[in-house]
Amino acid sequence: MAKQLGFHINSSVCANCKACQVACQDKNNLPAAIRWRRVVLYGGGGWVEKDGRWMPNGVFSYSVSFACMHCENPLCVQACPTGALMKRADGVVLINQDQCVGCRYCEWACPYGAPQFNEAKGVMTKCNFCEDLLAQGQNPACVDACPMRAIEYGDIAELRAKYGTLAEVEPLPSASITLPHAVVTPHRNAQASGTGTGKIMNLPEEL
Amino acid sequence: MNVREWALITFTILAQMSVGSFIVLGIVHYFVGKKAGEQQADELSDRALLAIGPVLALGMAASLLHLGNPLNAYKAVTNLGTSWLSREIFFGVLFAVAGAAFAVMQWKKIATFQVRNVIAMVAAGIGIALVYSMSMVYMMPTRPGWNLITTPVSFFATTLLLGVLAMGAAFVANYWYVQSKNPGCASEQCVLLRDSLRWIAISSIVLLGFQFVVLPLSIALMAASGATESAAMFVGEYGALFALRLVLVFLGAGVLGIFVYREAQSAGHERMMSVLAYGAFAFVLVGEIVGRFLFYATATHFGLQ
Repeated sequence: MAKQLGFHINSSVCANCKACQVACQDKNNLPAAIRWRRVVLYGGGGWVEKDGRWMPNGVFSYSVSFACMHCENPLCVQACPTGALMKRADGVVLINQDQCVGCRYCEWACPYGAPQFNEAKGVMTKCNFCEDLLAQGQNPACVDACPMRAIEYGDIAELRAKYGTLAEVEPLPSASITLPHAVVTPHRNAQASGTGTGKIMNLPEEL
Repeated sequence: MNVREWALITFTILAQMSVGSFIVLGIVHYFVGKKAGEQQADELSDRALLAIGPVLALGMAASLLHLGNPLNAYKAVTNLGTSWLSREIFFGVLFAVAGAAFAVMQWKKIATFQVRNVIAMVAAGIGIALVYSMSMVYMMPTRPGWNLITTPVSFFATTLLLGVLAMGAAFVANYWYVQSKNPGCASEQCVLLRDSLRWIAISSIVLLGFQFVVLPLSIALMAASGATESAAMFVGEYGALFALRLVLVFLGAGVLGIFVYREAQSAGHERMMSVLAYGAFAFVLVGEIVGRFLFYATATHFGLQ
C-alpha cells in the first residue's frame, strides 16, 4: 500500500462537465447539498474601450476539480474534539461518524470545505477516497468518471515525480496552510493562489 | 444566525461571566474579610457565590444545542492533545466541579478558611484556563477575522467586565434580601456594600477604557491582516449594531458606573444605588451579547467553503 495517497488534477484539460462530482455523489449516495468533490470555475477579465469600440481584455476562465486533499497537516483532524477524524496509515483522512459530535469545528478549520455537515444525521461527512473501491483494487469513482482523464490518484511521491509539486492555483488556498496531497497541472491561464485577478464564476448552488 | 450560533453566544457569554464573577467575588471577599472579618465577608458574598453555579450550568446546557449529535458530547474531551475545543470542554467541566466543590465547602463551612482559600484559587486558575482555551478555539488560519491577539484579549475583557457588574448586581440583590428578612440589622453590611460597589464602579470604568482600546484595535488588525471583509462589516452592514454595542457598554460601565460611585459615597441612597447597579449590569450584558453576536456574524472563511 502507498505511503500517502493523493490526487493529480489536470486543470489544463478539465472541461467543467462535473462528471466527477456527480459520480462521487452517486457512488457515495450523498444528499444533493453534500458534494465531496466539486468543480470550481475561475475566471476574470473584462472589456476595454479602444478607438471607440469595446474590446475584450484579458478574458479567461479555467476549472479546477477539488475534494479533500488528505493533507499532511490536516487542521480538521487537529481540531476535532472527539478524535472522530483520523489520518490512516495510507494517508487518507477519514471520519468515524459514530464518534462525531456534530460540532462542525472541522468545517471551520478546513480551507478546502472538505468536511460537510449532514443536517439529517447531525454528523459530518467527507471524502473517504472511495476506500471500499480501493480495497477491491478499483479506482475512486471520480477518477473513472472523468471523460478527459483529468483525475489520477496514487502515491503522492510518484505523482509529484511525474507532474511536479504545484498545489496552489486560484481559487485554491495557499498550500502552506495544510500541505495538501494533491498535484495540479495548471491551465495555461492559471493564476497563483493569493494573486488572482478573477473570481469564482459558479452559481452558488453549484458549489 | 440560527439556533446553533445563538447556542455559542449564550455559552461563551455565560461561561465567561461565571469565571469573571468567581474571580471578582474572591477578590471582594478577600478585602472585605481583611477589613470587617470573615463573618461579614461571608454574609456579603456567600449567596452571590451560589448564583454563579446555575449561570454556568445554563451556559453549558446551551452549548449542547450547538451540536448536531449531542449524544456523543461526552466524547468531546478525548482529543486534548491537539484540539482546543476539547481543552475548552475539559476546563469547562473542571471549573464546574472545582467551583461547585468550593461553593459547597464555603456554604457549609467545611474545612478551614485556608483550605477553602486554596481550593478557590485552584478553581479561579482553572477558570482562567477555560477562558484562554475558549478564545484559542477561534484562533485558526482559516478564520482571519478571529485569528488575532485581540480575540483572547477581548474574551478576558468581557470576562472581567461581566464578572464585576454581575457581582455588583448580586451584592445589591443579597443586601435587599438580608434587609427584607431582618430589617435594620445589616448596617455593617450596608457600609460594606457601598464600599464594594465603589470599587466595582471604578473597576468597570477602567475595564470600559480598556475595551474601548481593544475594540478599535481589533478592527484595525482585521483590516491590516487579510480580514478586510470582516473589518468592513463592522462599519458597513453591522455598523448600527456595533454602534449600539459601544453605546450600551459605555452607558452601563461608564455613565451608570459613575453614578453608582456617587450614590455609594454616602449612606441613605441605597435604593437609587441599587437601581443603578442593576441597570449597569443589564446594559453591559446586552452590549456584550450584541458584541459576541457580531464576533460570529463578521467571521469570514479563508479558502473554499
